[in-house]
Amino acid sequence: MSTLDWSVLAVYLVVIVAFGVWAGRGNKRIDDFFLAGRQMRWWAVGLSVMATQISAITFVGTTGQAYTDGMRFLVVYFGLPFAMVILCLTLVPFFYRARVFTAYEYLERRFDSRTRTLTSLLFLVSRGLSVGVTLYAPSLVLAVLLGWSEPATILLMGGSTIVYVIYGGNKSVIWTDVVQMAIIWFGIFLCFGVALAQLPEGIHFQDALALAKATGRLRIMDTSPSLTTPYTLWSGLIAGLFLMLSYFGCDQSQVQRYLSGSSLTQSRLSLLFNAFLKVPMQFLILLTGVLVFVFYHFHPPPLLWNRVEMARLERQAPPEELAQVKARFERAHAMRRIAAEHYADTRTEVDAQLYRQANTALDGARREATRMIEAIDHTAYNDTNYIFPSYIVSYLPRGLAGLVIAVIFAAAMSTLSGELNSLATASMVDFYKRFVRPAGGDAHELLVSRLLTAGWGGFACLIALQAGRLGSAIEVVNRFGSYFYGSILGVFGLAVLTPRASAIGAFWGLLVGMATVWAVATFTAVHFLWYNMVGALTVFAVGLVLSRAFPPAPATP
Amino acid sequence: MGPKPRNTPSDEQERVPLFGTWPRIYAAVLVCALVVMILIALFSSWNY
Repeated sequence: MSTLDWSVLAVYLVVIVAFGVWAGRGNKRIDDFFLAGRQMRWWAVGLSVMATQISAITFVGTTGQAYTDGMRFLVVYFGLPFAMVILCLTLVPFFYRARVFTAYEYLERRFDSRTRTLTSLLFLVSRGLSVGVTLYAPSLVLAVLLGWSEPATILLMGGSTIVYVIYGGNKSVIWTDVVQMAIIWFGIFLCFGVALAQLPEGIHFQDALALAKATGRLRIMDTSPSLTTPYTLWSGLIAGLFLMLSYFGCDQSQVQRYLSGSSLTQSRLSLLFNAFLKVPMQFLILLTGVLVFVFYHFHPPPLLWNRVEMARLERQAPPEELAQVKARFERAHAMRRIAAEHYADTRTEVDAQLYRQANTALDGARREATRMIEAIDHTAYNDTNYIFPSYIVSYLPRGLAGLVIAVIFAAAMSTLSGELNSLATASMVDFYKRFVRPAGGDAHELLVSRLLTAGWGGFACLIALQAGRLGSAIEVVNRFGSYFYGSILGVFGLAVLTPRASAIGAFWGLLVGMATVWAVATFTAVHFLWYNMVGALTVFAVGLVLSRAFPPAPATP
Repeated sequence: MGPKPRNTPSDEQERVPLFGTWPRIYAAVLVCALVVMILIALFSSWNY
């Protein structure tokens, strides 16, 4: 990166922290700190909801996925608009009118305290550990890209976010999210435009799409009814609906954003804003990944996208064998370029077939290099997340590369800030204020809220710093998270859809739901997108049966 | 349906922007989502 790029990145970091601190001034009570005084407008909350959801790894991961696998991941978001409407009709009015701080607080009013404690605890465990991954995953990529050490990247990204979240709470989170989302949108359009402009003369946008389509990268609507195939139209529409209902309806990191709206109307509009924009935004991100794929037909791609691993390969692999693989890779790339140009000219099925063969040959040459690095590292190698960042630093014009790296920082920090704020809220409201000191006064509560934010921030950094060693443990925890979000959705379904549901039904239904999802995940090959639906429907059904056997106690007059 | 959330006066007074009523805005979101999906299906299957 050039000096200009470094300057752009430095200016972004300084300005965003200063702006976050400035925007978050004036907190006097925990209502201000956790819910921004319930004064926010729909567009600010809507952008914050969007920014919290789009993490850095979503940004660099999905472009990489579009490069290697195509755009079919887009279907995951197909259920989102429907989920937003359902939430506006069901959970949002209940949360908003109950004047709660956390989604789980509502469950105590509807059922009992142990259901609230269990759901909030599940959120804290899952989100608390995944916040470390939110920090670690982009830091890993950026450290390789920028030539920094991993701890330095983690501490810079985590530390700068913690500063403004501790000071300003949710107000800082929302206003910095607005700025970060604007930067992210600008970055997406910029990358798309640059990738398009860098196609060689004679290759137009239509040709690029024809090439992408010939390799199956534009295939989005897979109508296979299989439950084991990832990213089919049905898994996107049905399982994606449950996934989005669970995430936006039961995850405090999202619920807290829209509870900050100045009215129910504002909260609803913030979600509907996402319903309009999310699918087009994700489409554009994936299409940029596809354009980068076409771009590398006409420019030499690296043998491995992770430059640290490439350097290791060059140091440790047998030189003759590596030279042969490199030569084969370069030949395959040259052949693919010729085949692509032919196909772009003629659009005949014969040339399409030749082009596909050339593409497969290039993939084969890369797989040989992958096998070599796997033999050296004794672990599986996947560099999908490095594709887009590698393109940014190698081919984006001066200044713009720094800006797009700032976009990756923005995506990571916006997710991290929302998660830290929501973790502090659940710890404070669902635990500290109930079990430690129920009436501590505004100043004390504000101080404890800030300490909890600092504590969770420190914990996130600690997990991120240890993530390399905790690798498989983190994967287990993330998998564990997918076991219970759908089940928690089932509990909320019982709470708002039927007056007959009892506390016993909700509590034991939740446990049975989680056990069922675990069994499905362990003993079947069903794709993980379906887990939320399995959990939610099981909890709802079991909860109804148990509620009939153990009906709610009649209300005292 | 379960226990109904109470409407507060401020909820009822606040104007629903652009579409006037909630059913209309929900319908607009769903129609828009379907149109986007149809456009994506066309994009995916188009003969470039």
